[in-house]
Amino acid sequence: MTLRIIRNVLFYALAAVWALPLYLLVVNAFTRAADYGGAPSWLPVGFGFFDNLATAWTESQLGHGMLNSLLYASASAGVAVLAAGMAGFAVVVMPLKRPTVWFWLIYLGTLLPLQIFLAPLFSAYVSTSLYDTNLGMILIYSAICIPFAFFIVRNYLTTIAPEVTEAAKLDGAGWPRLFRSIHLPLIRSSLFAAFIFQFTWVWNDLLFGITLTTSPDRRPVMAALAEIDGGFSTFGPPVVLAAAIVASLPTIVLFLTCQRFFVSSLRAAR
Amino acid sequence: MALLEKQRTRAGEEGPRPAPRLSLLTKDRLAAAPFLLGAVALVAALLLVPFLATAYQSLTRDDGFTSSFIGFDNYLALLQDPTFGRSLLNTLLWTVGTLILPVGLGLLIAVLTNAVPGGRWLKYVFVLPYALSGTATAVIWGFILRSDGALNQAIEFFGGDASTSGWLLTWPTNTIVMIVASTWQATGVTVILFMIGLQAIPKEVVQAGELDGASGLRLFWHVVLPQLRPVTIVVVGMSIANSLRVFDLIWLLTKGGPGAASETLAVTMYRQTFILSDYGTGAAVAVILSVIVVGASWFYLRHQYKRG
Repeated sequence: MTLRIIRNVLFYALAAVWALPLYLLVVNAFTRAADYGGAPSWLPVGFGFFDNLATAWTESQLGHGMLNSLLYASASAGVAVLAAGMAGFAVVVMPLKRPTVWFWLIYLGTLLPLQIFLAPLFSAYVSTSLYDTNLGMILIYSAICIPFAFFIVRNYLTTIAPEVTEAAKLDGAGWPRLFRSIHLPLIRSSLFAAFIFQFTWVWNDLLFGITLTTSPDRRPVMAALAEIDGGFSTFGPPVVLAAAIVASLPTIVLFLTCQRFFVSSLRAAR
Repeated sequence: MALLEKQRTRAGEEGPRPAPRLSLLTKDRLAAAPFLLGAVALVAALLLVPFLATAYQSLTRDDGFTSSFIGFDNYLALLQDPTFGRSLLNTLLWTVGTLILPVGLGLLIAVLTNAVPGGRWLKYVFVLPYALSGTATAVIWGFILRSDGALNQAIEFFGGDASTSGWLLTWPTNTIVMIVASTWQATGVTVILFMIGLQAIPKEVVQAGELDGASGLRLFWHVVLPQLRPVTIVVVGMSIANSLRVFDLIWLLTKGGPGAASETLAVTMYRQTFILSDYGTGAAVAVILSVIVVGASWFYLRHQYKRG
């Protein structure tokens, strides 16, 4: 009995500790920037959320950042998932020489920390005019997302019975047809899981955003948020916190609605 | 993340390959080229070539304009640099901290969630921060930890002296509070994974343990915990890999400072390269970080598989 009480108290205490930053975030993001007295509010006062947001929108072009990230995240995750699906098909289903070599060639990318790619990419982007362009960002994010998407898809493809392929081949289907009408429909759910996972990753990235872009109309959302955070004292905390909430909303919604797919991606990693 | 993937790959390769060997006609082999092209071209051009370029650059003196080959001098200079030593020490602190805190708390919370009334709904309080980016986490915790922030305000409210606590200004306090902030964000995923692991334990195993007279902590320690071994390997591996790569949080909260006191290798690499324009040294740090990440993953998994 005592053990049960200790257990419950411990859990509720932990929950309170976890909830407190979220609570402070919401309360202070809703405080009017003009009413902010230099110290954090602990109780809700006023409703200035949309005014704060408007400041972030006009002063630091958060809206631009969000649109850019929407483009980068959906295009890159889309390209990565398609390329990974095709490569997975080639490595698992097609009669390829040395499939293991091809596997490692593509997969190697996720083992290394991102820092090892940065400097040469920066130099190369500057000299090929890809620096600070939408295309440049979509290309690098696609490349970063391919290895893990490939891994998920490959694992899924290995569970499909070889007889499926053999039967279709006997019926005279060519490889492109086989991929389009047999395997693509079969791996659709794993492709979707990989897409959601990679979309979130791109949306949340800061490192490539601050390294490979500079202008506000090319910058992804987290780079914009980082800049707003740098203006903490100019704008006042309510503006910065309101910006953080809005910049996080898409991935929070995605995460809560697609939790099943997140979990399946994480489990695929086992 | 990477090392969990590696683990599955190995397991997959041991089994029989389900891929059919239809015929190895040249025509068929060439047919694979268009399917591989997109992925291989993007990965090779944007990841593998830059990787090799960084490895070479680490052997040069390079200020962004001129470059000359100097062998291992960058590495030798780093070994004698106390700032780099601090960076290594911080990286170690991050690894140990994010091993103990998110993994330990995640397990505790996952176990309690199933037992405590209302746990099913309260678990979202722990899970939600995982959907936030490192940048958003840094914004929130910056608001709490700055000198005129919420934490100091609370300390003064309860009669403490807040002026002495510059949370982000002195080492090692700044590294520790940032590890706490990271724990707040990262524990959600370990909770999810441990809950899946707990659900997967067969009821009979627990019942057998109970029949043998085990209960409470003893039951947990001797019956439940060993069953969680596979998921624990994943969670620990993930924590090691993620802690070695942490960048956003430190970059926004302290910029690695004051001075370079709270830098980890990921931040040192960024500062050397893009702030100081010392590309050679930056590349050397990146190579050392890569060796540590790949080495730690490999060592950890090999060790786990020997035992398992």
